Amino acid sequence: MRVVIAEDAAMMREGLIRLLADRGHQVCAAVPDGEALLTAVAEHGPDVAVVDIRMPPTHTDEGLRAAIDIRRDHPATGVLVFSQYIEPRYAARLLEGGAAKMGYLLKDRVADVADFTDALARIAAGGTALDPEVVGQLLRADRPGLDMLTLREREVLALMAEGRSNAGIAASLSISTGSVEKHVAGIFAKLDLPPSQGDNRRVLAVLAYLRS
Amino acid sequence: MSAMATVGRTLTAFATAPFTRRARAELVYLVIVAPIGIAVPVGALAFLMIMGFLAPGPAKPENVSFGGLAAGALVLLVLAPRLARRLGSFQRRLAARLLGERVAEPPSFRTGRGVLGRLDARLRDGAGWRAVAYLLLRVPVAVLGLYAVEYWVTGLVNLSYPFWWGLFRNHQPDVHLSPVPFLTPLKSSPFHIATYPGTLLVFAAGAASLLVAPWVTRAVVLADRWLIRNLLGPGSLTQRVRDLEQTRAQAVDDSAALLRRLERDLHDGAQARLAALAMNLGLAKEKLGDEGPELAQIRELVDAAHQGAKDALGELRDLAKGIHPPILDTGLPDALASLALGSAIPVQVTAEVPRRPTPAIETIAYFCAAELLANAVKHSHATTITIHVAEPSGWLLLIVTDDGVGGADPARGTGLSGLAHRVGTVDGHLDIASPPGGPTRVSIRLPPHA
Repeated sequence: MRVVIAEDAAMMREGLIRLLADRGHQVCAAVPDGEALLTAVAEHGPDVAVVDIRMPPTHTDEGLRAAIDIRRDHPATGVLVFSQYIEPRYAARLLEGGAAKMGYLLKDRVADVADFTDALARIAAGGTALDPEVVGQLLRADRPGLDMLTLREREVLALMAEGRSNAGIAASLSISTGSVEKHVAGIFAKLDLPPSQGDNRRVLAVLAYLRS
Repeated sequence: MSAMATVGRTLTAFATAPFTRRARAELVYLVIVAPIGIAVPVGALAFLMIMGFLAPGPAKPENVSFGGLAAGALVLLVLAPRLARRLGSFQRRLAARLLGERVAEPPSFRTGRGVLGRLDARLRDGAGWRAVAYLLLRVPVAVLGLYAVEYWVTGLVNLSYPFWWGLFRNHQPDVHLSPVPFLTPLKSSPFHIATYPGTLLVFAAGAASLLVAPWVTRAVVLADRWLIRNLLGPGSLTQRVRDLEQTRAQAVDDSAALLRRLERDLHDGAQARLAALAMNLGLAKEKLGDEGPELAQIRELVDAAHQGAKDALGELRDLAKGIHPPILDTGLPDALASLALGSAIPVQVTAEVPRRPTPAIETIAYFCAAELLANAVKHSHATTITIHVAEPSGWLLLIVTDDGVGGADPARGTGLSGLAHRVGTVDGHLDIASPPGGPTRVSIRLPPHA
């Protein structure tokens, strides 16, 4: 994968470069602000951009705005924004234009290297990676229909909304992929969602439902 | 008998007045301050003149540069309050030392942020401008002070006449010398004397003016003391309240700015380091793999360190968010929307805030909304909550309503009374309408700035 990094904290930036290089990815550019990020993405056309939300000059939502710009101007590039905080408002802004090739994670998640690189790969492949916190907030809002789900089905739904594949869900819940498929079918039937082929489209359907 | 004694005491007091410590102190005071009092307006005028005639060419009225004059006046305007404060504090100390007139210090000057803020703070420095008023009103008092000093000087000079008359006027009887003028503080020498007995008259006049001198001095000093008390002290109650309000606003703003900086320092410092540390530990953990019995122990240790770093990150995040929620930097509507999206009960947010209040006010509004939301979720059993923020007539209005069971009482529990306290720090208002059975409506009004 070819990756561009935008992160203003030098230590974090160096760490990310090392981590990604270690996993065999190519870091085309590592920049400290949103402006430079847009230039780097235009120049290198990476598979994924990893973007910190709070960057100079205002240290508020530069990364988020840059991410939305990248999606508009470079649809081939996936964007993973990450931050020290999960702000539901930012998640909503990010998902307004759809969840494909998008990710929003807490910075903490980078520490679980396998999960993080897995999320990057999903985004590059057109999928989604949402932090469990974001999903938790989506599921918390009282939605008619959700109370029809069993506890296990809600767990599966949450993991689906995070963007995980059947195999990922199975590993996470320590159940077989077969039972995951069964649960997924049950959820789609109960929520009256059209059955979707492929993990990515399935995620989008779930997110569209949760955000409706 | 006692009347006689009173008269006697009064006469004695009158006769010894010139020799008292108090008279001496007051005289010294006038001698020191009169030149300063006159020098201040003269200095200011001279400065303006120099600025006015800075343009090349002879200093004729038609060559006066109005730009220079205006620049000079501006400089004076900006510098005057600070300079006046300094002179005023010198004056206060002198009055305390020599006159025993102890006046409390005015509130100290609080500077603003940025060039414009500093300029604004200077121009609105109430105590500074009162000190300027003192210096201006003191000019006539200083002139009167010189006049009072003149009583002493002429008194002493006149007393000396009989003593030097014999030395300088021991001429032959047929030589005619012009008469010698004798001084009076009233007008320039209307009286002249030509003979030795005349000097006794001058002596008497000198004694009289010395007897009067301490009272003239005292009158002038009293006027000055009155000015000092009223203009160099902390000021009237109204003024004092205004000063306190200003100081409080500054304190509220300062603390908001401090908390914001603290959060940013945490974010850029400790949080970033910890995230990088956790990332490196995560990488190390993966590198260790699962094989080798001696690696198992190391793996366990790295595992623990990794988990510890992640836990610390979480705790630090909660702490930093409690200090200052970073999303507030993008504005109150965004922050409230974020709050609403994270709520377990659906929340409708409407926000119309065309003009942003100061950060301190936004922070108070945000934490109030967060607290009210948490209260509603915990106690109200509501199905919907609404948050409405608007800015009618310049004040920020925050209304949080829920369709729950009501019965919210600030007397019970610390949450609502804590809010009232928080709102009170900026003279805001908190109204709670929560009849048993609901609905609950809490409205908070906050000024646009602290």
